[in-house]
Amino acid sequence: MTRLLNGISWVGLAVVGLAVSACGKTDTKPEATTDQKPATPAKADDSTRFKGQTLNLLTWEGYADPKFTKGFEEKYGVTVKGTYFGSSDELVAKLKSSPGVYDVVSPSSDVAYSLVQGGLIEPIDTSKISSFNDLAKEIRDMDDAKKGDKLYGIPFTWGPDYLIYDANVVKEEPKSWKVFYDPQYKGKVSLWDDISNIYLVGQIMGLDKDKPEALYNMTEEQLAEAKKKLVELKPQVRKYWATAGELNDLFKNKEVVLAVGWPLTVGTLNKEGMNLKGVVPEEGATGWIDRLMIPSSSKNKELATLYLDYVTQPKAQALVMDATGGYCVANSKASEHLAEDYKKSPCVTEAANYFKRLNFWRYAKDRKRYNEVWNEIKSAQ
Amino acid sequence: MTKSPPSPRRRALLFLVLPTSLWLLFFLVLPYCGLLVQSFLGTNEFGDVVFSPTLDPWKSFFKKSLYTGTLFYTFKIAAIVTFASVAFSVPLAYFIAFKLTRGKQLVYTLVVVPLWVSYIVRAYAWKIILGREGILNTFLQWTGITHAPVEAFLYSQWAIVIGLVHIYTPFVLMPVYTAFENIPRPLIEASKDLGAGRLTTFLRVVLPLALPGVIAGSTFAFVLTLGDFLGPLLLGGTDTMMISNIVQNLFGTSNDRPLGSVVGMVMLAIVLLVLEATARAEKSFASLESGRGRFGGTA
Repeated sequence: MTRLLNGISWVGLAVVGLAVSACGKTDTKPEATTDQKPATPAKADDSTRFKGQTLNLLTWEGYADPKFTKGFEEKYGVTVKGTYFGSSDELVAKLKSSPGVYDVVSPSSDVAYSLVQGGLIEPIDTSKISSFNDLAKEIRDMDDAKKGDKLYGIPFTWGPDYLIYDANVVKEEPKSWKVFYDPQYKGKVSLWDDISNIYLVGQIMGLDKDKPEALYNMTEEQLAEAKKKLVELKPQVRKYWATAGELNDLFKNKEVVLAVGWPLTVGTLNKEGMNLKGVVPEEGATGWIDRLMIPSSSKNKELATLYLDYVTQPKAQALVMDATGGYCVANSKASEHLAEDYKKSPCVTEAANYFKRLNFWRYAKDRKRYNEVWNEIKSAQ
Repeated sequence: MTKSPPSPRRRALLFLVLPTSLWLLFFLVLPYCGLLVQSFLGTNEFGDVVFSPTLDPWKSFFKKSLYTGTLFYTFKIAAIVTFASVAFSVPLAYFIAFKLTRGKQLVYTLVVVPLWVSYIVRAYAWKIILGREGILNTFLQWTGITHAPVEAFLYSQWAIVIGLVHIYTPFVLMPVYTAFENIPRPLIEASKDLGAGRLTTFLRVVLPLALPGVIAGSTFAFVLTLGDFLGPLLLGGTDTMMISNIVQNLFGTSNDRPLGSVVGMVMLAIVLLVLEATARAEKSFASLESGRGRFGGTA
């Protein structure tokens, strides 16, 4: 026992020291640096001005692909370096723990709001974004990227969390999410390991019929009801998938025939000979918007603005869709530059319909509670 | 009062102890203290930890069955894994130590070789074996034992247990084997000379002498399973979340670092207690040669 006691007294000693230093550290909240001077207008010698500099992106996987960054690098003689993150929350953690490192980030609409409100993001001078007016209005002007009358982010890519089914097994197109509860598909369903399942059940309950934001502000009673429904669904579920790659494996190994997922899965697996289809059921589906933002701690804001201008132009956006295997892109004019395959993508043919029917992720004020409920569902035996 | 300068011996001792102490301080004690302090703090609406001392994270932990229930479930899995690893290791180690005359080293190496393969690769191998269209199901249907694929193999509690037992059995086998090897052979002969049968000799002479090895191995399996989070992630089903998955979720997803720190501190306390308890148990079963302990000396 002496070993243990020794250890504890050590701990006690260090606690005092740490408490003092922690005091100083946590008291200084990051302050918004909105009073900074706006970037000077682009000049004619832009092509040589930035030569040799490096632009650091902190993005979702695939969002720093040389397929579309190369043109920018050549134009300005710079290097674009990408660091990937695996979840919205990881982005927040990385950005907060290393200020000054990243010049462009790509948060989704669920955390964009808190980054902007928390003062971590620089407002965007939209006059410098040449394609600004071609970016889909429906997702461009949403609240999550706004503070006051300023815009803090522009849409880059977007897509649905829709219902994917193996059309070789499920012969009839499912009309409702309720197909997940169908006894004949017991043990053949896969849900994403994420709080978005709570939004999904909220849609089945019809919460967002009148107010889309209701999904993200559920009351404790509504959460309890959603929890009950998701626990009931557990025997139907084979596995909660954590990455898009895992969902691919589940479909390929015939473990599941129904799932919530992204167009990426349908595109990837159909290329390998499967017959998957994606559908937005009658209750609707949620969707995501990945935005491009410039952290207020960035040291290369001018170059970052030029990058935002570059990657939202039609040609670059078409390359983005190609590089990501078919993610929907924000610039509608991109479709002119797409390969035939991608022109048939629902992102292009059904975009207007999607914007109407998708309930895009928003900031959930009590995200912590949503996460806790999701964990309670997972731990229910 | 005058202070005499430290003697050269003391200075040398300081020189020896200082680097390790600093190492421990910076890489073990301070990080854990950070966790401890953080576990008493609150967060603001953006998830930043703010300096406002509170007991709330601790209250949430003990009040909500999510945390205590998951902890209990983790214990259950750890106990099953430990028991199964020991059940595999003891006969195998016994066989290698006492029955094999040739090829001892080879068999031992074969058992330990899986340790060289990454955990994740082994978990994926189990997916290939246990899946709906996996090797096991294909075989069972080919032989006609089952007619439809058995789904309970993969993505279940048992898949986790199988995967973890595969991973931790070598950890248990090594100390058990060493303990068997160190048993003086004359003792076994003496037991037989005094009329004890094989089973009695094993139960009353061999096993007690090997107990420190079994305890050391069990501790490995138990403590490592307690902290495991890849097993549930890769092989587990929809209701097999373990405590480390919650820690990962609290730090990585919900950004609730105070509560995550609470779970971390509770885990640390449990592991320290287990280590302390097993260290004592090992001592009380200490080897014969030392002349101390329950089975040594003159008792």
